[in-house]
Amino acid sequence: MIQFRNGFYADVRVEDRCRAVISYKAGTLEEMRSRRELQAFLRVYDGKLWYYASVTDVGHLQKTLDGLYAAAEENPDILEDPIVRRFEKNRDVLLSFEDHPVRNVPLSEKQALLLGYLPVLTEDPCVTMPVGMYLDRSSRYHFMSSLGADIEYDYQTCGLSFNFSMAEGEKKFQGFWQKGATRFDELAGVEDELRAAVKEQAEFMRNSVPVEAGQYPVVLSPQAAGVFAHESFGHKSESDFMLSDASMKDEWQIGKNVGSPILSIAEYGGIPGSGFVPYDDEGTKARKNYLIKNGVLAGRLHSAMTAAALDEELTGNARAVDCNFEPIVRMTTTYIEGGDLDFDELIAPIKKGYFIKTINHGSGMSTFTIAPSVAYEISDGKLGRPVQISVITGSVFETLGLIDGLTKDVELLSFVTGGCGKMEQVNLPVGFGGPYVRVSSMNVQ
Amino acid sequence: MEKEFIKETLHTITLNITAGKIDSFREVEKTTGTVRVYENGCIGVAGCLGEPDEDELTEQAKEALSFGIPYPCRLDGAEERIELHDDEIIPVSELIPTMRAFLERLGEQCPKMAFSNKINLIYKKTEYHNSMGRHLLSSGRHLSIELLAQNRGSGNLFDTFFLWAGEHFDPDEVLAYFREQYDAFYVPADIEPGRWPVVTEPGNLFGTFLQHFVGDLYIAGASLVSGKLGEKVFHEKLTFCDDMDPGTSFETCFFDAEGCTAKNDKPVLVENGVLTGLLTTKKTSEEYGLPVFGSADAPYDGVPGIGFHSFWLEETARTLKELVPGKAVYVIIASGGDMTPDGHFAAPVQMAYLMENGRIVGRLPEISVSGSFFDLLGKDYLGTVHDCPFKKSQLTAVMMDVKKAGGGSNV
Repeated sequence: MIQFRNGFYADVRVEDRCRAVISYKAGTLEEMRSRRELQAFLRVYDGKLWYYASVTDVGHLQKTLDGLYAAAEENPDILEDPIVRRFEKNRDVLLSFEDHPVRNVPLSEKQALLLGYLPVLTEDPCVTMPVGMYLDRSSRYHFMSSLGADIEYDYQTCGLSFNFSMAEGEKKFQGFWQKGATRFDELAGVEDELRAAVKEQAEFMRNSVPVEAGQYPVVLSPQAAGVFAHESFGHKSESDFMLSDASMKDEWQIGKNVGSPILSIAEYGGIPGSGFVPYDDEGTKARKNYLIKNGVLAGRLHSAMTAAALDEELTGNARAVDCNFEPIVRMTTTYIEGGDLDFDELIAPIKKGYFIKTINHGSGMSTFTIAPSVAYEISDGKLGRPVQISVITGSVFETLGLIDGLTKDVELLSFVTGGCGKMEQVNLPVGFGGPYVRVSSMNVQ
Repeated sequence: MEKEFIKETLHTITLNITAGKIDSFREVEKTTGTVRVYENGCIGVAGCLGEPDEDELTEQAKEALSFGIPYPCRLDGAEERIELHDDEIIPVSELIPTMRAFLERLGEQCPKMAFSNKINLIYKKTEYHNSMGRHLLSSGRHLSIELLAQNRGSGNLFDTFFLWAGEHFDPDEVLAYFREQYDAFYVPADIEPGRWPVVTEPGNLFGTFLQHFVGDLYIAGASLVSGKLGEKVFHEKLTFCDDMDPGTSFETCFFDAEGCTAKNDKPVLVENGVLTGLLTTKKTSEEYGLPVFGSADAPYDGVPGIGFHSFWLEETARTLKELVPGKAVYVIIASGGDMTPDGHFAAPVQMAYLMENGRIVGRLPEISVSGSFFDLLGKDYLGTVHDCPFKKSQLTAVMMDVKKAGGGSNV
């Protein structure tokens, strides 16, 4: 039992994390491991400085906490501190995956699942180096604070990830397909999806032509649109970037027009998937937040520190990538809300443009960049030849204003590899997605 | 049965900076242990967080042999080598007052900017021994100042980076280096579109190209250099290595995850334009008949895989002025670049300075740069300077097509 002291704010986050990784390359077992890590991150705040420690010896948390107390200065008014006053005091047990814990599935069963899919990768002779991976993560968290918060909750993802080098003569392509889920049994029976993905990418390698660089209308798939929302605007909504410069709050006034009137971007940690964060790492309960609603700046993402500094409400976005780090403002699941078109209606008015179906990566500051993987021409309102595009770029705000069409259906994606990077904390699992999004003009290279 | 044991300790002290002031202190000491055993052509691995018990891990690794993961047993033979670079840079107890004073001076000399992010003091020690009598011990430490700079009123998340890393902290030297960038940031500059020397840290360019030097892709025929091992395919001046010398590369140790060492602690990928190496592990080396490269990496409980630590290009000029006399583009932030399957590379440049005669003179508007893989490492490769802009850093220069961001014709 942790003994918290008066005159300080303190919290303790304990994570019991299990991970399994199985990997085959060219039909040979490369890796098979199951890891369990028990770690804790402790914070003490005295109203002036935060003191942090990370430990693997969770049997002696009190000793570490007492060490942090010794470094800090007692503050009898700590409960009146604007940061401390914002902390929620939730008490809850929310175990969403107790009836189907992936940590209890035998490693041999996970291996058999993966082995069943490997033959699909080599059906086309152009695949020269197939790599298949099974990955899962199951975490149980316990968060306690000196204010009385006491929360236990869990997190779970599992998935299959396939990379396949393809070569035919001088033509080369790095193929990729992934399936993420929150239940192990959801990973069964996806052979046809995998087969279709390999076939499409082989055809892309054989038939794609270099793009004619220039400004064109572009249609983004839910994957590309989700990454665009995450990179172009999600990071700008992380309000820790606003603390250093007081003028930022004027520049980013709620209510300001920042995009097309059909554009709404939402953020919510309660959505199952890789961005599932029912309570953040300060014990704040997840809630749906609009970043942009109908083209207008509607909100931003907060930790207690940033909410206090900007005098706004908590949003449930204080996250740490693991118990080696303190929570900072991060996204959970970020997505563009749907519109009123179907896909054919979306591309119908485009005389010449491009459809970005899958991407390698994306990033964004004032200018965003997306590196497409598979892309197609749009010609006279129809999909045409596959095209090689190294990057699409644009000014974030110009592009947000140039969104002029959205499909009705929204697809949210979960991945089990990669993740979001922010300074020292990389590969944080996040969810993202959206509808198919039409932008009237983007720079295509 | 043969065996390897690895213990790694990472001790980091981190200060978080918000609005130019320290708002948190974090101290983390993390130890991991690894045992790998080899028997009948298979590998068994066990690892732990915290102080390792070698006997216990050995038993667990033996159990893991039952997974049947094929891996050749090619342990390197007896050698004893200890390289310790662990003398104190700043006592932990003095880190906060030292950095408070530094940040105060930085704020005074750069009043139009707001600073945030991290200052890290990092100590790392790695020990390796195996059943063939090999014992290697390497340690290194450095201080890194990694500041995001917001131009007050710009509305941007950040406008540029101020970065410095070293083993000896001289605040005057670091402040002078930051001041040069600060002054140039507020001088608007321009450059005609066209082909210009582009100067950048090697990782900004070579990071994207590195996948084509991976042995697996090479053998699969999916690398742009497939079939060219031993051939002169790049510029005569290009010698390109992985820097595993803890004396010159921070946070690396002189041996890889399989206990391999290299001549001068720098395994070579390209020597004088000739492709001489590919990124391999002992397993891929044996499978494909390629040389062992010696830069493998591994999670503490996992099978070794491909790794790369730090870019090192052979010095071709003593000064930036000698390397790029006249005008050049000095790229600070180029996030999001990529290459098409046939080798066309393009990257947006979010922050760049105009350089003239080796000195930065002003800030350029957002641009994009492009070129092709074989040209950038071939006829368009201009060379590399060392210890510039600060000790143990490198800058490399290539000719690239420079355009205004957004694809227009004017910068």
